[in-house]
Amino acid sequence: MTGVSWTLWRRQAWVVARQELSRSLFSRRALAVYLLAAMPIVLAVLRAVFLPEKLRQDPTRPTTEFAQMFQFFILRFIVFFANAVIFVRLFRGEILERSLHYSLLAPLRRDVLVAGKYVGGLLASTVILVPSTAITFLLMYAAHFPLGAATVFGPTTLGHLARYSVVVVLACIGYGALFMLAGLFFRNPMVPGILFLGWEVLTPFLPPFLKAISVVHYLNSLVPVPPKLGPLALLSQPVAPWIAVFGIAVVSAVSLLLCIRKAWRLEVTYATE
Amino acid sequence: MKADRIVFREVSKFYGEVLGVNRVRLDLEPGMIGLVGPNGSGKSTLMHLVTGLLRPTRGEISVLGIPPDRPHELFQQVGYCTQYDSFPNGATGLGFLRYALALHGRGAAEADRTARETLERVGLSDAGDRKIASYSKGMRQRIKLAHAHCHDPRVLVLDEPLNGLDPMGRAEMIELFREFAGQRRHVIVSSHILHEVDLISDVVVMIHGGSIVAEGTIRAVRGEITSQPIQVLIRCDAPHRIASRLFELDHVVEVRIVDSDQALMVRTRDADDLYRRLNRIILDTEVTVEAIIPADETVHAVYDYLIGDTGDAR
Repeated sequence: MTGVSWTLWRRQAWVVARQELSRSLFSRRALAVYLLAAMPIVLAVLRAVFLPEKLRQDPTRPTTEFAQMFQFFILRFIVFFANAVIFVRLFRGEILERSLHYSLLAPLRRDVLVAGKYVGGLLASTVILVPSTAITFLLMYAAHFPLGAATVFGPTTLGHLARYSVVVVLACIGYGALFMLAGLFFRNPMVPGILFLGWEVLTPFLPPFLKAISVVHYLNSLVPVPPKLGPLALLSQPVAPWIAVFGIAVVSAVSLLLCIRKAWRLEVTYATE
Repeated sequence: MKADRIVFREVSKFYGEVLGVNRVRLDLEPGMIGLVGPNGSGKSTLMHLVTGLLRPTRGEISVLGIPPDRPHELFQQVGYCTQYDSFPNGATGLGFLRYALALHGRGAAEADRTARETLERVGLSDAGDRKIASYSKGMRQRIKLAHAHCHDPRVLVLDEPLNGLDPMGRAEMIELFREFAGQRRHVIVSSHILHEVDLISDVVVMIHGGSIVAEGTIRAVRGEITSQPIQVLIRCDAPHRIASRLFELDHVVEVRIVDSDQALMVRTRDADDLYRRLNRIILDTEVTVEAIIPADETVHAVYDYLIGDTGDAR
């Protein structure tokens, strides 16, 4: 492996990543992701408009309400499905539009191709979902603006915003790798996607050793405000932040290695897809 | 493995239990290579195998010494124009080529310049900024050819490259292929139009039912088909006089006067002996001969003898 090879591979990966970023942000398929990203913002706007005056005076309210919204709506629904749309299509989309062979006819190592596509998808999902989360967060707090800007947007609030943003990025890293894998292995990735969603939704009610094999368990350990999971939830101690980050990194790395292994064995047989 | 050859060693490809190609052995030198066979005979499978889009179930392939499972090395040397008439959504002709060249490690300016030059070479310079989705069938074929050769490969693999092109376009592209082959590069062309394969190929590979039935120059392949007497057309002013002498040769199996008494069609089992004796006969009979033409040293004839009318490769 020479320096020249590394330089070329890095450049090729970036060319692929830019192409995927552009497709994910500006093609017709991006519309679904934008609609998903707009949903929590719309909800936050409606809340800001219709929140009773009495509740606006409660400074703790946006913190707890956003924590619930983030857990059950943004993380498990918006981030999950937006990543599914972006990452499943990286390979499956090209197979369906019968243009995968152009990627495979380039002088590209297949691991460079996988890396480029993944980075492109990751940039796209981050660019869409982090601002969506941040805008939703700020709108939730903005409804309580009469309490004073200093109270609403103090250092703690901004710290929470930073941590939620990091959780979204980590979710994109983990879910992205898993959905890219699903797009490579399954002709109809919706089926494993729905099963996976079911698993992620049920995580709070699973015993600790089963929680450990879900992405959302590690993400939960990083959120600044633990959500109320209800009486049926089986409580377990959140893992240390470094373990959470490490866990997501391992899930992503294993998924990417499987993607690379599959990509090296890819054949073009559109007729059977 | 030879560094200037394309070599197949006992290559088989099965799709589940369905045979794609069976125990293919080939050793192809640079030049124009015509790949001929009916639909479903395994032509595209063979081309996919050369370019690594399919992996052999058994056997080994080497393209200029590179195995096709090393795409990062292979596609520095190989360009492939597939039969798929599909393109990335929303791509323009120019953007499509620029992206391909960027993946070859070209800088933005160089990729842009080379892409424009290639578009000009295939007659699409005015359509470069248009989306490929708006192109006609012929234009799409041209952009695929541009994509296959924009990086100046040493091996061009072309699956039905003349489909959708008008006669002028066909002539231009054939000229382009010839130019490539003339530079000691491999140009492998599959076509169902036998006349075109005949026109452009130095060597033909005939495939039927997944097996190679013949490989070589048309003359060599024809010479090996001993079951069919070779046909020779003699254009002359007095065919009757030559005919009577030809019947004396024991390898001549048929002599017919054709073209309103202006020519003679001879079928012989020993063409070399016929050519040797023909000079003497012409001198003896004092006939004026306009031309002596091998009548069935064509891809069409050889195809008919070896594969018959079962295919649709006409």
